[in-house]
Amino acid sequence: MICSEPVKEERSVTAISSKKEPPSGRAADWIRACLRIRELNVLSVLLLVGLLISVFSPYFLTTNNLMGVFRSFSLIALMSIGMMLVIITGGIDLSVGSVMGLSSLVTALVFQHGYNAPAAIGAGLAVGIAVGAFNGFMITWIQLPPFIATLGTLSIGRGLMYIITKGVPVTPDVPDSFTFIGQGYIGFVPFPVVILLAMTAVFSVVMRQTRFGRYVYATGGNEVAARLSGVRTARVKFTVYVLSGLIASMAGVIAFSRFVSAEPASGFGAELDVIAAAAIGGASLSGGAGSVEGAIIGAALAGIITNGVVLLNIDTYAQQAITGCVILIAVSIDIWRVRRKER
Amino acid sequence: MKLTQRFTASALVALAASVGATAHAKDAKDISVAVIPKVAVPFFDDCNKGAKTAADKAGVKYQWVVPQNTQGSTQVQIIEDLISRHVDGIAISVNEPKSVESVMKRAEQSGIKVLTYDSDSPRSGRSMYIGTNNEQAGATMADTMGKALNGQGEVAIITGQLGAVNLNERIAGIKKGLAKYPGIKIVETQGTDDDLARGVSVVETTLRAHPQLKGIFGVSQVGGPAVAKVLNTKEFGTMKGKLEVLAFDDLPDTLKGLKEGYIQGIMVQRPVTMGSLAVEHLVAQIQGQEAQPKDIDTGVTVVTKDNMTSYTK
Repeated sequence: MICSEPVKEERSVTAISSKKEPPSGRAADWIRACLRIRELNVLSVLLLVGLLISVFSPYFLTTNNLMGVFRSFSLIALMSIGMMLVIITGGIDLSVGSVMGLSSLVTALVFQHGYNAPAAIGAGLAVGIAVGAFNGFMITWIQLPPFIATLGTLSIGRGLMYIITKGVPVTPDVPDSFTFIGQGYIGFVPFPVVILLAMTAVFSVVMRQTRFGRYVYATGGNEVAARLSGVRTARVKFTVYVLSGLIASMAGVIAFSRFVSAEPASGFGAELDVIAAAAIGGASLSGGAGSVEGAIIGAALAGIITNGVVLLNIDTYAQQAITGCVILIAVSIDIWRVRRKER
Repeated sequence: MKLTQRFTASALVALAASVGATAHAKDAKDISVAVIPKVAVPFFDDCNKGAKTAADKAGVKYQWVVPQNTQGSTQVQIIEDLISRHVDGIAISVNEPKSVESVMKRAEQSGIKVLTYDSDSPRSGRSMYIGTNNEQAGATMADTMGKALNGQGEVAIITGQLGAVNLNERIAGIKKGLAKYPGIKIVETQGTDDDLARGVSVVETTLRAHPQLKGIFGVSQVGGPAVAKVLNTKEFGTMKGKLEVLAFDDLPDTLKGLKEGYIQGIMVQRPVTMGSLAVEHLVAQIQGQEAQPKDIDTGVTVVTKDNMTSYTK
């Protein structure tokens, strides 16, 4: 049940004494508690947009289409889990797009040199861990601001991709067991969506029920206080950057499995979509707030707009403008509701 | 009595057969086709023009879907959305041939007619490819250059995306054609991703590195405008007229360059024809009227100052 909320929101209790007593009882309490869930704000915008599209297009609510939409935003959603963790600690990771592309490329190259799937996947994931660790090291040891550090790795990653590919996509032969990752189904659910659901469940539990999750929120909420209370903030921050890199490389391996082609510009610009998803999901760029579930909903919102534009035959040039407007509306509604609660 | 029974029976069979036959041929206004370009550049505006005219003439529903970038994954997503939308036909100019193979096969399996135009994905199971025979176009370019340079000199090739199949076929055609002119040497092949700013900087660097350069092959649409811009500056103005510049695609800046003497020849494809043939053949295949689709070469016109006002595409 996603009804527990992070540390920051306790102070509204004292102000309500002058209001009328609301109806009590277990059921009413339960409903009220759930209505207070922050994620409901963006979830309702998501459902509203979905409803709007389905009114104008009979094909939107078909299983095939919905599963296709889920699969197409699954990679951004996956990366937004890692990004959310980083943003909660008060940092940012601009290198995720680069890491995704570089992992795709490394996986492709390992196949091209004749190795098998486990070796290729291992190499791809190792790229993410390495870059994440490098970011973490820059940020916690050298004390570079996260924006600068990850901007640097972003550029290094992009450059490496062009140097290695010389501008030509890498398209090796891959075994069917490998393409299952990106193109297979479990029942009617595409495998990338299964991976996304599994990761969301894992990190949802980690952030809400484990000590590590509490430490992440504490580090972001007030780093000095957290450190003085015994939280090893440097270690926490290092870990979240490694996780972000690892998750981005997972996305890269899945992407390569889906398209069987590692392009030099792969992942270009993905970091902005991922940050947008996290922002819609309630992340505050100063840290301490946001949730994994919110990030997934944010990615879903951007994803269904892309799908809706083609289904409704809207001019594709308008797509980016529409996405921007919807994002602004979604976040405004969210901020407005939070402010109203705090009064 | 037996006669009337037999008569009624055969009349019913004939009626059923005719109903069955008309059920196969879809009504034109219920047919929807979608045409996908590579990305938003002027060449495809011409394709859109031709395609839309053909669609209006056939009375079918028409959709033009432009990818936001040149990545293979973007076109894969678009095709998936079109499959969900149950369009009857898709014509696509492919950015990255391998990544769209499996989704195009899926479209064909679900009954959608798929063909490629301008840029092919040969192993995707598409019914046909309509476009320029790029190798032939390259060979024509090489011939034109060889004759203009009298078979002697250094030349450079300026291309767009290094991984683009159609551009690389043109380059292969140029190299094959230049085999007839052993005195001509290709000293540089540079990519620009069809970005004008990149193109200008690449051309400048090439001219500085090879002051003896005699000719430039602009194999993609950015070559013409880039060279025209560079030759219009103080540093390189003296090379105007001394360089044989052959460009591809008749962008307004390229035509201007031709008129003003910066460019000597343009290979003009026939994008309007590509677009209209694509839609015509899709509709024919959807209505079951085309049994054996075959690839179509829409060819190029070599446009020089002499015929620049009179060619068609």
